[in-house]
Amino acid sequence: MMKLSEGAIEALANGNGWNDAILQLVNIRKIDGGSGPARFRVMMSDGRDTLSSFMLSTQLNFMAEENILAPNCICNLKRHVTNILKDGRRVVIILEIDVLKSANEVAGRIGDPTPYFDGQNKGLQQAPAPAPAPAPAPVPETRPLQQQNRNEVSRGYNRDLVKKAPPAMPVTPGGGSKVVPIASLNPYQSKWTVRARVTNKSSIRTWSNSRGDGRLFSMEIVDESGEIRVTAFNQEVDKFYSLIEVGKVYYVTKGSLKIANKQYTSVKNDYEMTLNGESTIIPCEDNCDVPMVQCDFIPIADLEKREKDAIVDVIGVCKSVDEVTRLTTKSNREVSKRTLNLMDMSGKMVSVTLWGEEAEKFDGSEQPIVAIKGAKLSDFGGRSISASFSSTLMINPDIPEAYKIRGWFDNEGHTVVGQSLTERRGTGIIGGIHIWKTLSEVKAEHLGHGDKADYFSCTATIVYLRKENCLYQACPSQDCNKKVIDQQNGMFRCEKCDKEFPNFKYRLILSANIADYGDNQWVTCFQESAEAILGQNAAYLGQLKDSNESAFDEVFQKANFNTLIFHNRVKLETYNDESRIKATVLSVAPVDHIEYIRRLMVNIRGLAAK
Amino acid sequence: MAGILDVPKPRINCSMLSQHINRPVCFLGRVEKVHSTGKTFTMLDGEGQTATVELNEPLEEELSGIVEVIGMVSNKGVLMATTYNILQEDKGIPFGLELYNEAVKVLHDFPQYYPFQVTTSS
Repeated sequence: MMKLSEGAIEALANGNGWNDAILQLVNIRKIDGGSGPARFRVMMSDGRDTLSSFMLSTQLNFMAEENILAPNCICNLKRHVTNILKDGRRVVIILEIDVLKSANEVAGRIGDPTPYFDGQNKGLQQAPAPAPAPAPAPVPETRPLQQQNRNEVSRGYNRDLVKKAPPAMPVTPGGGSKVVPIASLNPYQSKWTVRARVTNKSSIRTWSNSRGDGRLFSMEIVDESGEIRVTAFNQEVDKFYSLIEVGKVYYVTKGSLKIANKQYTSVKNDYEMTLNGESTIIPCEDNCDVPMVQCDFIPIADLEKREKDAIVDVIGVCKSVDEVTRLTTKSNREVSKRTLNLMDMSGKMVSVTLWGEEAEKFDGSEQPIVAIKGAKLSDFGGRSISASFSSTLMINPDIPEAYKIRGWFDNEGHTVVGQSLTERRGTGIIGGIHIWKTLSEVKAEHLGHGDKADYFSCTATIVYLRKENCLYQACPSQDCNKKVIDQQNGMFRCEKCDKEFPNFKYRLILSANIADYGDNQWVTCFQESAEAILGQNAAYLGQLKDSNESAFDEVFQKANFNTLIFHNRVKLETYNDESRIKATVLSVAPVDHIEYIRRLMVNIRGLAAK
Repeated sequence: MAGILDVPKPRINCSMLSQHINRPVCFLGRVEKVHSTGKTFTMLDGEGQTATVELNEPLEEELSGIVEVIGMVSNKGVLMATTYNILQEDKGIPFGLELYNEAVKVLHDFPQYYPFQVTTSS
């Protein structure tokens, strides 16, 4: 029985040479080189340790192909060279080897060798060389490796081993072709591999229609040459969804390509990819060359020029943000929503709406830089942005544009008041930002004269409250506020509910005149705002009016000359050929002096700069 | 005392003391340290600078928090106080000294809009 060179494996693994090592070949495996020659990976034993990081140099391929080298044969490693991989592990290239005893002359494994471990080689041993049918317990490399333990080291090793002489050429782990740029992908070639970073990943969406149920998720991947959208359906969702992590780099092979449906994405590629049963996705650890994200940011000022429903990339500073609200969709699903105001260096601002978990988790407290790739441009309120399920939301991204905006904002941008492209609706407060107007501006700018109502906020002082006819008798039903008719028989009739009631509830309609330094404005305050201004509820006031005139008057005296913040809606209304501007107070709030002063400072300095 | 109360007293901070030597001013800041004699104390303005205030008589009460001092600026840049009043900080909203400082700067940057003069009605 030949004596193996015990200790040779350890030496070779550590880069110390060993001349004429007598080793037993444990396993040999062919690795498909694609367009190049095949490579053979060999596992050798010195009776004590085994090491699988041997590669047969191509000129010796014939020895493998002719079965001269076969499991169990004893060899003398006459010449070898050791390559060191990027991560420090070693590969022993067999340059010259003599078979001392052929496989059939050897009974079996000599000794009881165990895989050689040191820090470097741990990974090597954990990837037992997958072999064709006769070999024991293989893990086929070409299958997505998320099914085994995600040991980055072993996968990277496999990739590196198959490298040919120039180590710079990225070659895929087994069974693949060379890496091609994303920009070159097309439907007419099927054997390709790309190496790309995942820039976004959607959540799993399910659908149910007459043809059955399905699920899908989509992602976008980017490399040095470009980007492409990738979708996986049904089984591929199960296979790949948990494997993919945004920001990490993967090798992707054998997806199917088809013409892109540009409606759903801002990704610049004529094609998009669908993963199928043959596709593989394998994490790649050597990812420093792959760019982080590809975005084509549009200045917010240019959004006006783009068409509605366009898919765009935007970046800016989150100047302010609203609270999260929940609303119910048409399909009776509850969804969270949050609006924020994004401003860029053009000084223009736009409202951005976030949905779902993104809305809930968003924290705008530090005025972060927010970038959204693939956001939808809507004509809601003029122009506004919505993050769809396929958009990528990035907070303070590590990209040059973000740093530029951060620098601009910290130095001067924070004083810019910002001009929003998004009209105010509803309460006139979107994204936490009010449109502040002075009463003279309201008149000078003809607010309310357009087709739609205008909304604004102002700081003003109450100079007159009309106490006559400020209360009316309303229908006592829960949601009905219609004025009831006194039937004079102790009953009150509501036309809307078509019912009679023995009682009513008092409601307020308060006519008031408010003024600031420049002008005054007649406004109407309904229940909530009237009660806030008067500091009493309608029912109590009704009582006072009927019972204690002087106490009733006193309420109005006290409320007069208070200075408050008014949120108003103003609209031109036509009634019998007469058009009048009607202003309604939607809500009132006490003046926040600190915020008011800051705003005035910004305005003063802004005016001074002009 | 009557004299100083009748004339305009521009509000200033520490950086403006030197431009107002021998003039009556109004200085508002936070008390920093009171001298043991009680006749002088230091104050911080909204920019964090310190001004020294001298009184005719020693203090009869604890002085702390936000104080508004009216007086003349001496050649040496010390505020010779004629009168002072303490702003209660336990009432209302906390006093924003930095914001006050910003306002004072605005007053001096735009004198055309904030003229310091007495208009006598005839």
